[in-house]
Amino acid sequence: MDSESRNNMILGEEKFRYFCLEFLKHSQDIGDDWEWKNVQGEEEGYLSKTCYQTRVTKSDDGKKHEQEDEILSTITLEGDHEVEDDDNCVLPQGSLQSEVINYEYHVLYSISYQAPVLYFRASFLDGTPLTLDAIWAKVHDSYKPRLLHGPWETITQQEHPILGQPFFVLHPCRTNEFMSSIQGSASREGNYITSWLSTVGPVVGLSLPLSYGRTV
Amino acid sequence: MEEAGENHPALPANGGSDAAGEAAPAPAVSPATEEPHSETKRKIDVLLKAVGDTPIMKTKKWTIERTRTVQGLMDFIKKYLKLEASEQMFIYVNQSFAPSPDQEVGVLYECFGSDGKLVLHYCKSQAWG
Repeated sequence: MDSESRNNMILGEEKFRYFCLEFLKHSQDIGDDWEWKNVQGEEEGYLSKTCYQTRVTKSDDGKKHEQEDEILSTITLEGDHEVEDDDNCVLPQGSLQSEVINYEYHVLYSISYQAPVLYFRASFLDGTPLTLDAIWAKVHDSYKPRLLHGPWETITQQEHPILGQPFFVLHPCRTNEFMSSIQGSASREGNYITSWLSTVGPVVGLSLPLSYGRTV
Repeated sequence: MEEAGENHPALPANGGSDAAGEAAPAPAVSPATEEPHSETKRKIDVLLKAVGDTPIMKTKKWTIERTRTVQGLMDFIKKYLKLEASEQMFIYVNQSFAPSPDQEVGVLYECFGSDGKLVLHYCKSQAWG
C-alpha cells in the first residue's frame, strides 16, 4: 500500500461487497441477524439488521425526556456465548417502566464518499417513528461532547437512496479519514466493514458482539 | 508523573469522569509486580498504544481494574493527554475492532488478552462532522 492510499483510505464498491459478505459469514455463525438485501434486478445491495431494544425509563414524568437514566438491553438473540457476563438485563421495578423500540440498520455504499454509510430508523411498537430529538437523546454519553459540536453535520434525516423512505444517516464525511488512521497503522488488512461498524455503530445503539473482533 | 521511574502504575480508581483529578492522573499507587492474589484477579495489565497522529502516552503499561469500562478508559486517556472534551477518542482491540463504550476491560482481557496482558490501541479522531 503506498502512502497516498494510507492517508486517504477509500473503499471501492467491489471491496465493500466483499467485506460485507465476510461480515455476514460471522453474523451467521453466531446467529446475529444481519442479512444482505439485493436491489431488484441490480447488483447493488446493502446490509440490513432489524432488532428490538428495550429501554427502561424512570416514570418520573415531566422530565422523562431529559432524564435519560436509561438502560438498553437488546433482546435479539445475539448468540455470543463468549460474553456471558452481559449484565445489561435489569429488571424493571417500582417506578421504572420500559418501552420497546424497533431498530432498523442499513449499511449502504456511497459512491460519492467511496465509503460505507449507516442508515437507520427507529419506531415504537405502535409504529410511531422516533423523532430526531429522541434519537439524539439516545446517543451514548461517550459521544455527545464531540457530536454536539456540530449535530447537524452528524445525524440527519435523509431519503434512503434505495427505498426512497425517510431514514436517519450518520454522516460519512470523515469516514475515510478516521478509517485511514486505523487501517493504515494496522499490520494487516482487516475487514473494513467490521472495523468501521464497530466504531460508528455504538453511537446510535448498535454494538457488535465482541466475537466480531476476532474475525477482523 | 512524579514517579516517572515507575513504568507500571495503576489507573486512579475513580475513573476519568469527575473533575477531581483535573490536571494529571494520580501517580502510581500499586505496582503490578508484587500483588496479592486477590489484587491480581481484580486488576489486569493493559498496554496502551497510540494510533496515527494521536499523541503517545509516556507511560504505556497500566494496571486497570477489570470493571473499568472502555468509556472510563477513554476519559482517562483524554485527561492524561490533556485533550479537549470535544475530541473523540476510540479504543481498539486487535488493532481494528472498537468495543462498545460500556464494555468492561476485564471482558476484553478474557477475549483478547495474551501473555498476561491486553493490548489496546487508542485513536483520537474527528470521526464525524
